[in-house]
Amino acid sequence: MGETVYSSESYLASPSAMIALMCRDLLGSRELAWRLMARDLSARYRQSLLGFIWAFATPIFMVAALTLAVDAKLVNAGNTSLPYPAFVLLGMVLWQTFTDALNAPAQAMIGAKTFLARLKFPHEALILAKLGEAAFDFMIKLALLAGVFLWFGVPVAWPAFVLAPLALMALVLLGLFIGLLLLPLALLIEDVSRGLGLATAIWFWFTPVAYEAPGDGLFALIVRLNPVTPLLSTARDLVAGRAASFVLEFWIVSAVAALGTLVAWAGFRLAMPFVIERIGH
Amino acid sequence: MLPSDDVVVSAQGLSKRFCRDLKTSLIYAVRNVGREFVGAPSRPGLGSGEFYALNDVSFTLRRGESLGLVGPNGAGKTTLLRILGGIIKPDAGRVRLRGRVAPLIALGAGFNPVLTGRENIWVNTTMLGISGRQIDRRFSEIVEFADIGDALDAPVRTYSSGTAARLGFACAIHTDPDILLIDEVLAVGDQQFRAKCYRRLAQLRRGGTALILVSHNPIAVLSACDAALYLSAGRAVLKGSADDVLRRYEEDANPVDEPRAEAELLIPRRESIAPVRIRSIGFKDPAGRALSCLTSGEPAELWVGCEADEPVGELCANLFVQDLSFNGGRALYFNSVRDGHAISVGRGPFTVRVRFPYCGMRSGRYALKFQLTDGRYYHMYDGVESFLFGVRSQTDMAQCRFYQPHNWEIS
Repeated sequence: MGETVYSSESYLASPSAMIALMCRDLLGSRELAWRLMARDLSARYRQSLLGFIWAFATPIFMVAALTLAVDAKLVNAGNTSLPYPAFVLLGMVLWQTFTDALNAPAQAMIGAKTFLARLKFPHEALILAKLGEAAFDFMIKLALLAGVFLWFGVPVAWPAFVLAPLALMALVLLGLFIGLLLLPLALLIEDVSRGLGLATAIWFWFTPVAYEAPGDGLFALIVRLNPVTPLLSTARDLVAGRAASFVLEFWIVSAVAALGTLVAWAGFRLAMPFVIERIGH
Repeated sequence: MLPSDDVVVSAQGLSKRFCRDLKTSLIYAVRNVGREFVGAPSRPGLGSGEFYALNDVSFTLRRGESLGLVGPNGAGKTTLLRILGGIIKPDAGRVRLRGRVAPLIALGAGFNPVLTGRENIWVNTTMLGISGRQIDRRFSEIVEFADIGDALDAPVRTYSSGTAARLGFACAIHTDPDILLIDEVLAVGDQQFRAKCYRRLAQLRRGGTALILVSHNPIAVLSACDAALYLSAGRAVLKGSADDVLRRYEEDANPVDEPRAEAELLIPRRESIAPVRIRSIGFKDPAGRALSCLTSGEPAELWVGCEADEPVGELCANLFVQDLSFNGGRALYFNSVRDGHAISVGRGPFTVRVRFPYCGMRSGRYALKFQLTDGRYYHMYDGVESFLFGVRSQTDMAQCRFYQPHNWEIS
């Protein structure tokens, strides 16, 4: 029979035991994550008539609006590597993958509030399920993207199939890192989750989604300092088959995102019992 | 096996602080998280605005034992259960649990209202920590226990709350727990389903499952638990046999201001808006002497002393007797209106007497519930939740379920 001990001691008092527990919970939460994802996806489509058309809706309308704005010379997209609609659609899909990962932890926890406070289970499963949902949405959008690429006759260089998933992974990790880091605060303080929503909306315009990263000026500097820029640009450059412009930055941000996610995950586990205490039941 | 190997729950000095003010508690939460991050132990003592929801509570529980947690609202029962369930961390003390813990706190955790009952069983049992292969094996048992018929393939949002709870209970109870934590959930479902739940709990206990039950219903505690822990304002007031602890709890809930008569419960005058109140309850023999214990086959009378502030025209007395022995259940139910007696009383004291020419109950422990209700609309004026009494038998009744008055005649 397994023995469990709960005490007032911090889990950090024995880091090795904590790491062992983290690995065990992550492995142990796969099945639950799968079921939760299947539950949420089937519930989502069972209540909707348009079904997964919704996954297309946002990118299509954004692409249409931006294409019109560029045609009318309201937005200067720069010298884009791909035909503009394909360029901006690819950017949108990548950006949405980032924001999905960014919002996954908080959305997962808020959706599960009532049973978080009453049942002990690996909380990782909730986040993995949300990431799984995001991956499912990504696949749908990928189909749309393939259609657009075929329409414009854009060839995709073969290294893209190997390297672009890597860049995509880095985007997910960066989103997860920030999302996990802010999660305890977002659950405790309403202002943080509201602020994050606002920040994401502004962040979009400082990320080269709808335009090619500019060369100089204040705006260009902000865009360059934006950690999403190297990841998103690199992924798009790879698909377009041209030399990536932020190679060093890409590796730095990726490493920070990967390590940061691990640290933020540990922090999330330490903070959750206190957060749950305040959620009440 | 050594006796110490039997201990499945061992709690030592558990304490938990809470703070009622939202903003202040936020500051405490951030500080606690900060201490946790640097690996510092929890700070001792109370901060301003904090109170102990649980204060230095210790107990042990062995295999197959069951412990009832009783106490008024806000005594810390649920907090204790949540610490045992690993949902929140204690601020001091530690608890050691051996084996799988199943909390019957969140019935139907993760139920999605759009999905069918069948689909939800999968999610819910996975959430309770059961692997897919085990669920495969258990699935038909769960469905059979829940016994909700065609509803199984309908979306859960079309369920009544009772039906949803049946399904939730069925999932939770089929997880092979070593330790079951139950919080007021046995009050769900209809009489028949509740009886089934208790039977299942008894079966689990025989198999060695330890049980911790929180309930405000003394009869539930008495019929499911051997021992009880009485919590008040976070402290353990009394720990002992369920009988003793509940008697003390009932006394504290209805403090006795007069010396307590043998086998009679006196109820002090309380503030009440109801025009009729119960003041005392007890059994007497036909000569009017108080009975401390009934005897199978002998006559007895239940005397209920009441008083009315104003004349009441249609009064109905309800009498429930619960058998507290193993597999007991409801033993008796009488209703004066159904028996053809609408009671009508004037202002002042009056006594309701229920005469048993023969006590038909066999030996054992029983809990009696008595209620005075309006005869037409059945709203309750006053009631005694559980008056405990015993029955003994003079002859050997081990083979009888009840006392049957009988004569032998040979001709």
